[in-house]
Amino acid sequence: MSTHDEGSDTWVGKAVLRKEDQRLLRGFGTYVDDVPEPRGTLHLSMLRSPYAHARVLSVDTSEAESLDGVVAVVTGADVADLIPPFAADYERPGFKISHRPALATDTVRFVGDGVALVLAENAYVAEDAIGLIYVEYVPLPAVADVEEALQPDAPRIHEDLEDNILLTGGNKTDGFDAVFQSADHVFRERFRINRVAGVAMEPRGCLAIYDKAEDAVTLWTGTQVPHMLRVGIARYLGWSESQVRVVAPDVGGGFGPKMYLYPEELLAVALARQYRSPVKWIEDRLEDFLTTYHARDHVYDVEVAFNDDGTVQAVNVDVLVNSGAYSNYPMGVGLEPFQGPLNMPGPYRFRQFAFTCKGIATNTCSTGAFRGVSAPCVTMAMEGMMDRMARHLGLDRVEIRRRNIIHSDEFPYLNVNNQRYDTGSYVECLDRALEMVDYEGYLAAQTPERIIDGKYRGIGIAVVTELTGQGAARYKARNLSDLPGFDGAHLAIEPNGQVIASTSFSSQGQGHETVFAQVIADELGVSVDDITVRGGDTQNSPFGTGTFASRGAVLGGGAVIRASGDLREKIKKFAAHLLEASPDDIVLEGGHAHVQGVREMRVSFYEIARAAYGLTDSMQLPEGEDFGLEALATYDPPASSIANACHIACVAVDAATGIVEVERYIVVHDCGRVINPLLVESQVQGGVAQGLGQALFEEVLYDAEGQLLSATLMDYMVPTACDVPTLEFEHIESPSSDTLGGFKGAGEGGVIGSLPAIACAVGDALVPVGANINRLPLRPDTVLSLIEGADG
Amino acid sequence: MAEHGIDARPLAGGQSLVPLINMRMAQPAVLVDLNRCSELAYLREEDGVLACGPMIRQRELELSPLVRRHCPLIAEAMPHMGHATIRNRGTAGGSLSHADPSAELPGVALAMDAEMVAEGPNGRRNIPVAEFFFAELTTALAADEVLREIRFPKANSHTVAAFAEVGSHFGGLAIVGVAAQVERDTAGRCTKVVLAATGAGERPTRLPSAESILTGEALEERTIMAAAEAAASDVDPLEDLHASAHWRRRAAVAMVAQALRQIAAGVHSR
Amino acid sequence: MSTARREVRVTVNGRAYSRSVEPRMLLADFVRHECGLTGTHVGCAHGVCGACTVVLDGVSARSCLTFAIQADGKEITTVEGLAEGDSLNALQQAFHENHALQCGYCTPGFLMSLTEFLRETPDPDEAQIRERLSGNLCRCTGYANIVRAVQAAAQRLREEGRT
Repeated sequence: MSTHDEGSDTWVGKAVLRKEDQRLLRGFGTYVDDVPEPRGTLHLSMLRSPYAHARVLSVDTSEAESLDGVVAVVTGADVADLIPPFAADYERPGFKISHRPALATDTVRFVGDGVALVLAENAYVAEDAIGLIYVEYVPLPAVADVEEALQPDAPRIHEDLEDNILLTGGNKTDGFDAVFQSADHVFRERFRINRVAGVAMEPRGCLAIYDKAEDAVTLWTGTQVPHMLRVGIARYLGWSESQVRVVAPDVGGGFGPKMYLYPEELLAVALARQYRSPVKWIEDRLEDFLTTYHARDHVYDVEVAFNDDGTVQAVNVDVLVNSGAYSNYPMGVGLEPFQGPLNMPGPYRFRQFAFTCKGIATNTCSTGAFRGVSAPCVTMAMEGMMDRMARHLGLDRVEIRRRNIIHSDEFPYLNVNNQRYDTGSYVECLDRALEMVDYEGYLAAQTPERIIDGKYRGIGIAVVTELTGQGAARYKARNLSDLPGFDGAHLAIEPNGQVIASTSFSSQGQGHETVFAQVIADELGVSVDDITVRGGDTQNSPFGTGTFASRGAVLGGGAVIRASGDLREKIKKFAAHLLEASPDDIVLEGGHAHVQGVREMRVSFYEIARAAYGLTDSMQLPEGEDFGLEALATYDPPASSIANACHIACVAVDAATGIVEVERYIVVHDCGRVINPLLVESQVQGGVAQGLGQALFEEVLYDAEGQLLSATLMDYMVPTACDVPTLEFEHIESPSSDTLGGFKGAGEGGVIGSLPAIACAVGDALVPVGANINRLPLRPDTVLSLIEGADG
Repeated sequence: MAEHGIDARPLAGGQSLVPLINMRMAQPAVLVDLNRCSELAYLREEDGVLACGPMIRQRELELSPLVRRHCPLIAEAMPHMGHATIRNRGTAGGSLSHADPSAELPGVALAMDAEMVAEGPNGRRNIPVAEFFFAELTTALAADEVLREIRFPKANSHTVAAFAEVGSHFGGLAIVGVAAQVERDTAGRCTKVVLAATGAGERPTRLPSAESILTGEALEERTIMAAAEAAASDVDPLEDLHASAHWRRRAAVAMVAQALRQIAAGVHSR
Repeated sequence: MSTARREVRVTVNGRAYSRSVEPRMLLADFVRHECGLTGTHVGCAHGVCGACTVVLDGVSARSCLTFAIQADGKEITTVEGLAEGDSLNALQQAFHENHALQCGYCTPGFLMSLTEFLRETPDPDEAQIRERLSGNLCRCTGYANIVRAVQAAAQRLREEGRT
């Protein structure tokens, strides 16, 4: 792993070591719980419903209030006027709005739903007081399973809605029926995808600091979307946005669940103002499992119509998504139901596609975005069907994919969902990955019995596309009115010549401080060491959408390129003035501006800055130019850019215990123009680990009554270093034709590829037992049942 | 502890108790910190026995040459217990008193027929190990008693031991384990076989059917597989969110086989 | 129930701290909020994730499973005590050079556990490394670069030991 060496021509494309590391390795990172607490900070502890569904008859706070150190005990009735019920209110046919009170008033709808809270002098006392609040509940029938919630006699989660269906959608391409009927074969399969949790190592938390003089609140919170949060908080509290500042400090992992506005944030802000005290809330891991939004929990009924030659003719999918008890802000419940069908075609060229989707309320924690959203899950279904089709037709799994894959000479390609595929390398990544794993050799060593060294062994290949860098147009097409879609960058040369950049992105480990600096370094001809990149503070950073959905490289990269371009013009004008040359003849290189071809005629950024900030003996202002050296730009990419990869997993299944080991894992990955290959590879490695966890053992488990069974890290298994192999990894670059810089996103690909690759590998390993892999996770007892034929 | 009754809990390594306290699942009014009682942390060789004080750290047992020489089953099981950092603070007495059904040390104690010495205000008493582990998280210790000493019989030089365990993934919590201790004569036939399973019931369980199949036989694949299959009828596993009862039964069978194969091959734990 | 505060005197990273705390205060909270050393992180408070790992009286320990008063009179090392002045130590430098961290939340716990590991096992193989690493959870990196960092640090420490 090398740092950039002097004399190399670009920073983009180099494995630059991270600027963030210094503080993080020393323990000087500042996560929310590390932010210095002002004197008098009140600690907030939440009383949460132990019932999945119940009426709240009364809340007796008297004993809690009298505990030493308790300042206030607050109920839903107390805050009803301060904070109205909130949700993403977007207009979309088939969407019903379900608002969520910040604290329940008469009804609780999932185990963990907040009923009351305590404000106390320290966190220990606050938690003591929670135990002294007595709530009278009348338990109601509850439902946790998505299909049970659809039954006509199912408990109703929201009484004001006629059923539990929060959202319906669907589409059918013209001519679907005819093509479907006339295909040679139809395969049907029902897939059940497990519910998982993000389990960022840092639990959620926030610190709301009230400023008496300004009548404003600064909210420190581990969020992925500071600007959207500010808009949401101001809206729901009825405040001016100038009264709200949101700061995301160092954040210990995001992955999607931290891109939402949570009740605790609204409560902390509102109560900080009401009590004119800082208010701090940090959840523990139990609360995290109970209340931080979960993900997946889908059922797919898939039909694939295909011909004897292996070409897919038409695909139909009916999607059920367990949305949980409440809609959320800003994505609403439409995220997973629609993203599934949107991503299902993947790299394949079939021209007929039909889907229906439903988001269904249950008495469970709400579900939402988690790395990949539905893409890993529908890809697992699609790739699984590909393998089944191949086995049925006696075709090799690679061959059948070749017959369906979009080739590079077809880009730009409009897929069956009218999704534009800008550029890509689906076949090239597949070919290279096959070489790396020695596919021919693997097949040659494989036997019909699949047993080698006492274990069933199999190989799974997934060719995947990744929807990245979505901009405003895409979000509007999806009716996501709370998502701006664009992002911004502000660049300034300081009086000392150094570059300060501020973007609308905040980082939860993605390395933005390094990656954006690399882009700026090339644009301005300076060293990464002379650039500081900031973000996450709504007071100091330009408005934008934030970090999720593999947007950073595209939107952030584009915004800093734009801002750099504007700044570059200004720098050249000042340099030209100082050098008595024409701006068109000025070149920026090595922190200097020099006349093209005449390196000795140069000025440093420092000298340029002195002139631009009026810190020279005499006026050095070019004709028609203003003082100052900064630029602000926004970037909204044309639509979205499509990254792609090929993942190959080789697994060994222990015949005696059903435990699955991933022995080898290959990825060939194309995220367009790579800014930092070290960081991209690490994003994929981390994503593969998460996909492996979901594929093999992670599961958020509720019982039939909506009690959460997996509420600790002893019960919810997260992959360890003994589970995850080191990837064999290569890059291919197909720069995007559509994005500034040619970048594509890379954050989610690891998960999107690993779910199908591992599921297909297990399917291959278990060919002798004739098992269709159609549910996750593939826990040892599930796999053992397949081997023993218990499932028939 | 006599003073406070059930409101008081002894605090040993804290690796099992403090998580419960942090999650407010256990809320003892009083913790009696045994960590400052240096006289409770010892490992003493006696005639025929290694006597452990309850506060001996798991890590010390893991690294002890005395344990490796005289109680090979403990040495084989130790690397499987939790993780190194947990073993630094975790104690023998704490793990045994906590009696988690999947814990390794209770299975080892059962397999070795250890003497469990309890002490309370009324003095000391020996509790036979088969009676010590009563049910899930429940031992035969009275509320005002602590485990005062554990006396592990020394193994003879013909004894080879192994420990095998499996969970739902690698590097995580184990679900089912098997402690195996085998003595063989010069012809390679088993003269004494002890097998105990952890995580395959409410408490650690001996596997008499498996043991009797092997007694008098050589350790080869045929006899190992027969013994392993026989173990299936010796266990009465629970079902929980981690695994079904059926899987626990099959995992016990697999771990019997794995432990016996390790002994046959002369392979050591980690 | 006596919750009367008690005096705790500890040495952390070579510096003495004396505070009056409730008996039930966790060592993790003590180090973070009483000593102001926020590099030690709390990820679960049930001893599984390892983010809170410190070195207590010479051995690695979960500070979320230890009470502050249990550390009275003892010496503690936290992540803030690893760097040599302004320079990262060999293990930290290896983490940096091998991009072995992303969000950084789990990193201090890994560093404290690995400091002990490399002292006890100066020439570990990959299986031993992964075994040791399995006592700490990371949700970002997928562990591969952490393994590489440990291998690099082990090699450098062995070389430095020889000179």
